[in-house]
Amino acid sequence: MSHSNSDSISVTHLEKKFGKFVAVNKISFSVRKGEIFGFLGSNGSGKSTTIRMLCGIITPTSGGGMVAGHDIVTEAEEIKKSIGYMSQKFSLYEELTPFENLRFYLGVYDVPQSKWSERIDWVLNMARLQDARNRKTRDLPTGWRQRLALGCSLLHKPDILFLDEPTSGVDPVTRGHFWNFIKQLAHGGMTIFVTTHYMDEARLCERIVMINEGCIVASGTPEQIIAGACPDKPDADLNDAFIKLMKRNDY
Amino acid sequence: MKFIRLKAVTRKEFYHLIRDYRSLYLAFAIPLLLIILFGYALSLDVDNVETVFVDYDKSELSRDFIRKLDASPYFRVSALLPASKDAVDFLDHDRAKLAIVIPPDFKKSIGADREIQLQIIIDGSDPSFGNIVRGYISAFVERYNQKMLIHFLNRQGQERIHPPVDGRVRIWFNEDMESRNFIIPGLIAVIIMIVGAILTSLIIVREYENGTMETIKSMPVQAGEFLLGKAIPYFFIGLTDLLIAVLLGQLLFGIVMKGNFGLLMVAASLYLSVALSLGILISNVTKSQMLANQMAILTTYLPSLLLSNFVFPIINMPKFLQMITLVVPARYFIDILSGIYLKNLGIAYLWPSMLVLLLMFIVLTFLNYKMLKKEGL
Repeated sequence: MSHSNSDSISVTHLEKKFGKFVAVNKISFSVRKGEIFGFLGSNGSGKSTTIRMLCGIITPTSGGGMVAGHDIVTEAEEIKKSIGYMSQKFSLYEELTPFENLRFYLGVYDVPQSKWSERIDWVLNMARLQDARNRKTRDLPTGWRQRLALGCSLLHKPDILFLDEPTSGVDPVTRGHFWNFIKQLAHGGMTIFVTTHYMDEARLCERIVMINEGCIVASGTPEQIIAGACPDKPDADLNDAFIKLMKRNDY
Repeated sequence: MKFIRLKAVTRKEFYHLIRDYRSLYLAFAIPLLLIILFGYALSLDVDNVETVFVDYDKSELSRDFIRKLDASPYFRVSALLPASKDAVDFLDHDRAKLAIVIPPDFKKSIGADREIQLQIIIDGSDPSFGNIVRGYISAFVERYNQKMLIHFLNRQGQERIHPPVDGRVRIWFNEDMESRNFIIPGLIAVIIMIVGAILTSLIIVREYENGTMETIKSMPVQAGEFLLGKAIPYFFIGLTDLLIAVLLGQLLFGIVMKGNFGLLMVAASLYLSVALSLGILISNVTKSQMLANQMAILTTYLPSLLLSNFVFPIINMPKFLQMITLVVPARYFIDILSGIYLKNLGIAYLWPSMLVLLLMFIVLTFLNYKMLKKEGL
């Protein structure tokens, strides 16, 4: 797979072993700039390990790649500065207020102090949390906390946003709002790398890679993946394709 | 190391500390409680020992003996009993620690220059207490004998005589031999360990339990900034506790710090840094807050209390325990602290202990840094 300038993420033969266990088995793929990219797989498929390598948290056993123009083996620090990461647990400090959570992220991402109040207002407005800025985060409903967590990961205006199951435990209406906002961000040129277990959400991705037992089992647009996995079933949807592709060899 | 990131981590950690009542309780209530409890209740000194007499002689001489004993600050005569079995009863029910039976021919025997046996029974259920009482009462009887003898000889018309050797004992460093004077320095070491290690044992494992550690790892914050930033609030709490302990020691118990205050602060900062890095190491290796807390109590608080010369002298311990005390930081700090507090020693005498603490700090910090690096920070 060749690397081009319009790629935001590109990895080749990326491999991670833990002892003898191969978590990620020499996978290659690329994500274009401004793309909403779905990364799907069941639990234990190697999904999280791949994300952690892309975010510079762990180093690959072999292979390599570029994320936001930086080498994932040698420039982990630079990658961390150019990406935003939102985990499924929302990773907020419960005893802190939304304002204090935001200020923590601003400091850690080294955003110049002159921009702090503008960025905080931007996120609080976007997340509709102006009235809750000084309440304890613990007391906020799940949907609000999700918006705050998203806001925290956007404060430093990253090139790539990693969303690890960003809508787990959130109601369908809030999920709808969430995805509209994600689309806006992608239109603005931000690359969105998202994992999800909801196939209706995966359909909203422009391109998808499915991973099972550390190997890529399908890639392409949602339509291509459905057609490839269930060629003889015209009314098949992404759910059917997912179930078929995630079948393990040992079953 | 970037100041803005360090400040962000420190500020966040400070909020955790002040908004968690358990942390505050550990940081301030426990030290206060310990000082007051240990200072007042756990006095290792023995005085006013409850004493009962059975006086079968009922002479002016036996009454004089009882009066003299009662006048001593070490004894308090609480009852004169008619029979020996009553004294046993008092000892059994813990109403007396010492019982003395004066035989019927006490005065007659002394007058006839015959040896007379005084029955003295000590409650030895607490051996160290019993030992001290034995020392007191033996010394008292010895002295009484001596006075009687001199009195007798003088009355016999001899020249005024004096005892040939007069040992003039002078106690140094802790002149009144008040165990309190030693307890305050020991308590400072224990308190700093509680604040330093038990509180900080939670600070990293908490991030893992809350799922925030994964996000921290994805951020451009570096291991050094993370370590230092997290430790700073606890460092100031530790120093505040030190000042509270020094102040309370002086106000409540009149224990005046004799040595150089600057040196005390330097030594305490060093010891506090060891405690903090020990707590952080525990936090790094454990995977639940509960386990971290128990491990911290077991590996920091208890050794500081028991293996540090504070409550039990190391010199009386079996060899293998003595070896273990070599890695107990409190042992070195108590050494420094009693040196500064009671002996007004300077750095010339204290540097070996300070060097040990410094080495401990360097090793622990290195381990912490490596572990965080390995986790992807």
